[in-house]
Amino acid sequence: MRAQMLRGAFVFAVIAALVVGTGPGRTQAQASRQVRELVLVTWPQAADPQQYEAARIAAEGMRKLGLKVTVRPMPWEQLSDYVWYNRQKWDMTTWQMVGRPERSDPDEILVNLFSSSTAKDGYNFIGFIDPAYDEVAQAQRSATDPERRRKLVYEAQRMLAEKQPYTFLVNPKSLYAYNNQVWDPKTIVDQKGIGIKNFWTFIQATPKGAQKDMVLNAQDPVQAINPLYISGKVDSWVTELIWDRLVRIGPDGLPRPWAAAAYTWVNPTTLDVTLRSGMKWHDGRPVTAEDVIFSFMAPKGAKVPMYKPFVANIAAIKALNATTLRFTLDRPQAAFLTSTLGKLNLVPRHVWEPMLQSLEGKKENAESLQERTPIGSGPFKFVSWTRGQEVVLEANPQHWAAPRMHRWILRTVANVEAALGGLRNGELNFLSDYLGDPQVLVRLSRQDPRITVVASTDIGFQFIAYNERRPPFNDPVFRKALSMAIDRTMIRLVAYKGYGVLADSPVSKALEFWHAPGLPQLPYSVQAARDLLKKAGYDWDSQGRLLYPANQTETLEVAR
Amino acid sequence: MTRASSRWIAQRLAQMLLVLWVIATILFLIFRLMPGNPLVAYIDPNFTAEQQRALVHEFGLALPLWQQYLLYLKASATGHMGQSFFYHAPVAQLVWETLPNTLILTGGAVIVAYLLGTAAGAFFAWRRGAAAEGIGIPLALAARAAPEFWVGMILLAVFSFSLRWFPSSGTASPGVQYASVWQQLTSPDFLRHLALPLATFVLYLQGLPLLLMRSSMLDVMEEEFVVMARMKGLPERRILLRHAARNALLPVATAFALVIGYSLGGDVVIENVFSWPGLGRLLVKAVASKDYPLAQGAFLLIAAVAILMNLLADLAYAWLDPRVSYAKR
Repeated sequence: MRAQMLRGAFVFAVIAALVVGTGPGRTQAQASRQVRELVLVTWPQAADPQQYEAARIAAEGMRKLGLKVTVRPMPWEQLSDYVWYNRQKWDMTTWQMVGRPERSDPDEILVNLFSSSTAKDGYNFIGFIDPAYDEVAQAQRSATDPERRRKLVYEAQRMLAEKQPYTFLVNPKSLYAYNNQVWDPKTIVDQKGIGIKNFWTFIQATPKGAQKDMVLNAQDPVQAINPLYISGKVDSWVTELIWDRLVRIGPDGLPRPWAAAAYTWVNPTTLDVTLRSGMKWHDGRPVTAEDVIFSFMAPKGAKVPMYKPFVANIAAIKALNATTLRFTLDRPQAAFLTSTLGKLNLVPRHVWEPMLQSLEGKKENAESLQERTPIGSGPFKFVSWTRGQEVVLEANPQHWAAPRMHRWILRTVANVEAALGGLRNGELNFLSDYLGDPQVLVRLSRQDPRITVVASTDIGFQFIAYNERRPPFNDPVFRKALSMAIDRTMIRLVAYKGYGVLADSPVSKALEFWHAPGLPQLPYSVQAARDLLKKAGYDWDSQGRLLYPANQTETLEVAR
Repeated sequence: MTRASSRWIAQRLAQMLLVLWVIATILFLIFRLMPGNPLVAYIDPNFTAEQQRALVHEFGLALPLWQQYLLYLKASATGHMGQSFFYHAPVAQLVWETLPNTLILTGGAVIVAYLLGTAAGAFFAWRRGAAAEGIGIPLALAARAAPEFWVGMILLAVFSFSLRWFPSSGTASPGVQYASVWQQLTSPDFLRHLALPLATFVLYLQGLPLLLMRSSMLDVMEEEFVVMARMKGLPERRILLRHAARNALLPVATAFALVIGYSLGGDVVIENVFSWPGLGRLLVKAVASKDYPLAQGAFLLIAAVAILMNLLADLAYAWLDPRVSYAKR
């Protein structure tokens, strides 16, 4: 009888413990102050060993603060869906911004990643809300004086360093390689924050011998060759060669005139652009002011959705004469040269106007149109495209900046090892896409002196993002303590094998003009992180688990 | 052809359509049950909520599921198969562009594997217990058991990267274009590109016809008609080829349909190792990027090929062995 009662009491205790959600021996008040188990989602090891390894090292540091942390790998399709479309549900994720020439201007990153206006369904997926920051970010957007703008960009970076919406890990180094017996090393250009695979290399690379074709690789297939569609990253390598732009981002990371011979700001909302004379489309017709106006006005309609945000601020474009255009903006936009004139492709009106008209009243837009022979005015002409295999372009000798190579051939090589082997046996002479182990590539270049490897710090950055909609991540002190408890140097050396520099800002150190000097570095120190938490009222229970400050309790379930 | 047999074929065709419909339905559901969202391919700092809505509308994902299903069935039945989300091009066009490469590689590999496999199987059965069998069978088994991507990488490392006899990827040298499939098939450049993927594929496929032929031969060689032929004093060669091998081929022919189904799985892997621009790579990319229309279209086509091959194998069996009849008794 007594044994039965005991058993009954035990069962009751177990049920009670399950209901309350803690083991026996803890008081109710402590249990609910205890920070729940936190979940860090990341890529599977096989798909991205660097992010996976970084997540594991980071979680190890967080555990030293008395947190229970689970690292949960997910395939990218699932992870992005979870983080992007379930914004209330997740805790932490590893994430990256990749480097692109247009990101040489900090505007896109500072505004779109951290503005309260993009928190609901835009790129501010962490839900970082800070009215003071919004003000500074918007102010730099309209500061057309570069020096004044630089001060504001610095200010924005300082605010982010203080608030730590992310833990910045590294600016990775991008690695590319080429055959120095085929290409004259003096003519390979290293663009700041981008690396040697860039527009300037492609127009300047000079063949040393009989091999005059550049044969490059990309892992992903080309999706479309369409000047009005921002498709995959590989596609943009092709489009920027076929279609010219008014402005190009130079090797120094700053905009420079291109199809525009010159430009002048008349006032903060008026820009005069003089076109280069004698430009011709690949079909032989001249490039006119009407073509240029068409190129910027067509995306304002409904049929070119991806370029629409970039021209939204243009109120009007008027041809002052045959070669001068006046752009009038709704609001001052300091990054206009880079983010609009350097982004939009110049397209021939006689080709695209009828094509866009054929879409009237249909569901499809310009993205489903594919020219048989794409016509641009750029330094390379289209020759052929075999889907899943290669794109062939040839030098346009009529162009004022005619390339020195004969043909530019982009091969789709799905297998990383095959790309490396191809570089060795001469099937490729420029390794333009390499996601494998950097040390393998460097070893290859040591064994084979014909192969030159160039590593350059990228505009892109890797980070851990915290969902600021979910406590305790809404507390900047907590986020700062996490950043201090994560051994970022270890991540740099182990996960990235030393191919990266420690990041302290969303603006890359490669962008010397924009990166704020003297940002707080938050060196690795678990003790300092614990002191910081203690000072803010956090505490630890007898098992060493972290507790919220006295007036706060856990309100959320563990992330699923 | 008798009336009974034509009725039987009509029945089989009707069954085929039913199976295809079931597969189409499963495909439709399975891709929508998979975690993820086709819009994630577009995530970018400049991707606005307005663009998201426009895409959902353009992809037809705003419609109720049953409407999507009916539209999909209609599109599949007409062979149109819809518009790919990822490439923004008609699925039919994408599939037809890559299908020849896959058919050449897979078809070629199946034929070569069958010719080599059955010949070797017959030979090993004939030489039962000889040293050739002692070495040959374990080798054939090992080649069959090794993962095909591994075999492919070994062949690449040896014959492409070290010896440089064969190119490592694609169907043609940089910048080479073929005017027609016939020109492609007869071009030495294409054949050099085909060599390594085909060899990998043959090593992967040869095991089944080889082992089946060998055991079937061993059975047949015990039969009375072989003993009879020997008693008649016919030459061994003639007994092997005209009497034993011919009869032993029957189960091997039935397994042909099985090998076709099996080879489609191998094709996906081998196309990726050798960057072969075929249906398999299109399929992998489509599944990874949640390109429902393309993935559905490609899978459906593969299923249709596999079912058709099964039907052909049944027909061939009856033709090879008159004892088998179509008609139900």
